[in-house]
Amino acid sequence: MTLALELVQQALLQVGFVDGLAEFVRPSTFAEVVLQGLSKAAIYVMIAAGLTLIFGLLGVLNFAHGALTMIGAYLGGLVMVLTVAQGTGPWARLALFFVAMAVVFGLLSALGGSIEVSLIRPLYDRPLIYQILLTFGVTLVLEELARIVVGFYGLQPLAEWQAALGTIPAFLETSQSLGPVSVRGLALFEILLGALTVAAIWGFLTRTRYGLFIRAGSEDSEMAEALGIDVRRVFTVVFALGAGVAGVAGTLLMWDPVWGASVPLAAESLLPAFVVVIIGGLGTFRGTVVGGLIVGLVDATTTWWFQNVVVEWTWLPEVAIFMILVVALIVRPQGIYGVEEVGGH
Amino acid sequence: MYLVVVGLLACYPAIYHLLTQSPLGEVAVTVLPRMETMVAVLYFSLFAMSFDFVSGYTGYLSFGHAAFYGTGAYTVLLIANGKVPLFGPETPFLLALVVGAVLATVLAVVIGLVSFRLTGVYFAMITLGFAQVLYVFVRDWDYVGSNPRDGIALSGARGFELGVPYVDQLTVALGTLTGDTLAIAGHTLGTTTVSFYAVGIVVLLCFAAMQRILHSPFGRVMVAIRENEERAEAIGYDTFRYKLGAFAISGFFGGVAGGLLAGFKRSVTPESGFYFLTSGDALLASIIGGFGTLAGPLWGHLFDETVREFLSKRGQGGGLLPYLEQTLSEAFLTTELVGGLTVEGFITAALNGHASLYVGIVFVLFVLYVPDGIVGTVRSRLGGPVARSLPERLWGDR
Repeated sequence: MTLALELVQQALLQVGFVDGLAEFVRPSTFAEVVLQGLSKAAIYVMIAAGLTLIFGLLGVLNFAHGALTMIGAYLGGLVMVLTVAQGTGPWARLALFFVAMAVVFGLLSALGGSIEVSLIRPLYDRPLIYQILLTFGVTLVLEELARIVVGFYGLQPLAEWQAALGTIPAFLETSQSLGPVSVRGLALFEILLGALTVAAIWGFLTRTRYGLFIRAGSEDSEMAEALGIDVRRVFTVVFALGAGVAGVAGTLLMWDPVWGASVPLAAESLLPAFVVVIIGGLGTFRGTVVGGLIVGLVDATTTWWFQNVVVEWTWLPEVAIFMILVVALIVRPQGIYGVEEVGGH
Repeated sequence: MYLVVVGLLACYPAIYHLLTQSPLGEVAVTVLPRMETMVAVLYFSLFAMSFDFVSGYTGYLSFGHAAFYGTGAYTVLLIANGKVPLFGPETPFLLALVVGAVLATVLAVVIGLVSFRLTGVYFAMITLGFAQVLYVFVRDWDYVGSNPRDGIALSGARGFELGVPYVDQLTVALGTLTGDTLAIAGHTLGTTTVSFYAVGIVVLLCFAAMQRILHSPFGRVMVAIRENEERAEAIGYDTFRYKLGAFAISGFFGGVAGGLLAGFKRSVTPESGFYFLTSGDALLASIIGGFGTLAGPLWGHLFDETVREFLSKRGQGGGLLPYLEQTLSEAFLTTELVGGLTVEGFITAALNGHASLYVGIVFVLFVLYVPDGIVGTVRSRLGGPVARSLPERLWGDR
């Protein structure tokens, strides 16, 4: 009954709809929404990039990716909180952030590499489902370990780790105005960082020798092996890289007040990452970037619409990205750049 | 063999009662799951079985299976709260249970029609996507209750009654607080024990029905799809229809399981009903118990819950933590290990409510070393289903 009433109400809101459209197409509003969307897209691409690297080569849908992101967020926050006393100026903090990112990348790569060698390697001869199941188990373990550590040191009085959030430089927290458009400094930083990450992974995959090995391995691992590439080692390196990239994304999420470092971050970041890689086509890096852009922009647009025009349906922005997933899978099941059979080796 | 298992489960309340009263009582309280937990094991393992019914037998990982569980639970509670058109709040529980299960079946057909165009990881993901949409939807749908994020509870203090509708002698009330006690042959069965038997009978009937389907030609086709779908199609089976049928049946029993959850707990939250980790728990139970064996999830979930309760927080029944605190000496507990960390502090930090860690480790070990699960491994050791081969082993081939 209420649903029907709401539908009627929405029909009555037609006037509001027109007003909303007029507001939405105003250049400054539109630019703000696009910038919001790009910053969301940057985050989505960063959390999905590691996942797609691993799936593309190994054919393993890494359920532990979210847990790795979460651990990255905590480690990054830890480095920031421990070191930020040394450099209090905003630029020093920014520099420290990149140090934290590098440290987290190193630590998580090591963790990812050891997970691959000790746990996933024995399973390559089994049906694909066992590798997925295994990473699902790893998630449970990592998440609970994090919960034990966090609980033991009393880090988590609130949902987001305030001490880590407090290390953001002031100029990223305030709104910056670009002409008529005003946007949060952090959003610009996220866009920049996302672009840098994409460029770095892109460069690594297409411009380096190891990237060539990886592309050859995901194309046809048997042939690559026949040509003398140690595919098993490439697998380990890619898994380590994927975990490292997850950690880098986590370090960024730690600064974003929408996400923040928390144990539930594992599930919260995993699901959008899945959506992004599936829309783009599992295992294709290009698809992930495009998928991230689509999800980010649609997310920002629907959020704006439902905040400014249809205020009654608060749940719609949250459901938006899963709606995108369902629609995308109905329209194009294999994703934008995907092929039917990926990672079959 | 099934009779033996059913008999063992039927005797569990008596065994539990005897052991906790015996000289070994303290140990028994520590190790054995409580009766409340056993009821939860029964209805949740029905859900895990319904998951295994489609995922273990057709090979399609239904990662959003919680959608059906949640639909069953929410329907039953919404009917009881008088919020469903056509069904008043006085609708008997059994009817509400069936309505919930039918709704879950319809939902399964809708999701299946879209999802079965996909295979493998894509199928797992699209079912997950549907379940998450529903999860976010019920979490914020203020029609179900004033605070949908906390889920819904039965309004009023009355409980649900399970049995033949309109025949008072054949119905018993479910639940720990409002349930019935029964006096049989001089013994009084507690409210939880009565619920245990009532829920157990429903679960047993559903198990038998699923078992029957799996052993029918329909079930053979499901296995054929799992083993080699292209070949099954080449033989002439319309695999899409079979997959959809299996999915719908599985949705029905998932809905029944959810309805039982609502009937016993009289409340449900979006997390316990629709969240993807609920599907994950079913997956856990199936893998530990044996993927592709219908009885496996029961053992898997029993194991899961026993470990969880054994390592649970203090104050919730027995468990390792209170047991250690009672038995270990004060001096040992306050001994310092490293950097101000006492033995007691370590035990508390490592054990207090962190059973998921150990369940996770066990799960990983099972995936690595016991891929067939408990039941599957026993089966391959015996060389056939336990029901057939154990008697052969024991008494020879008669």
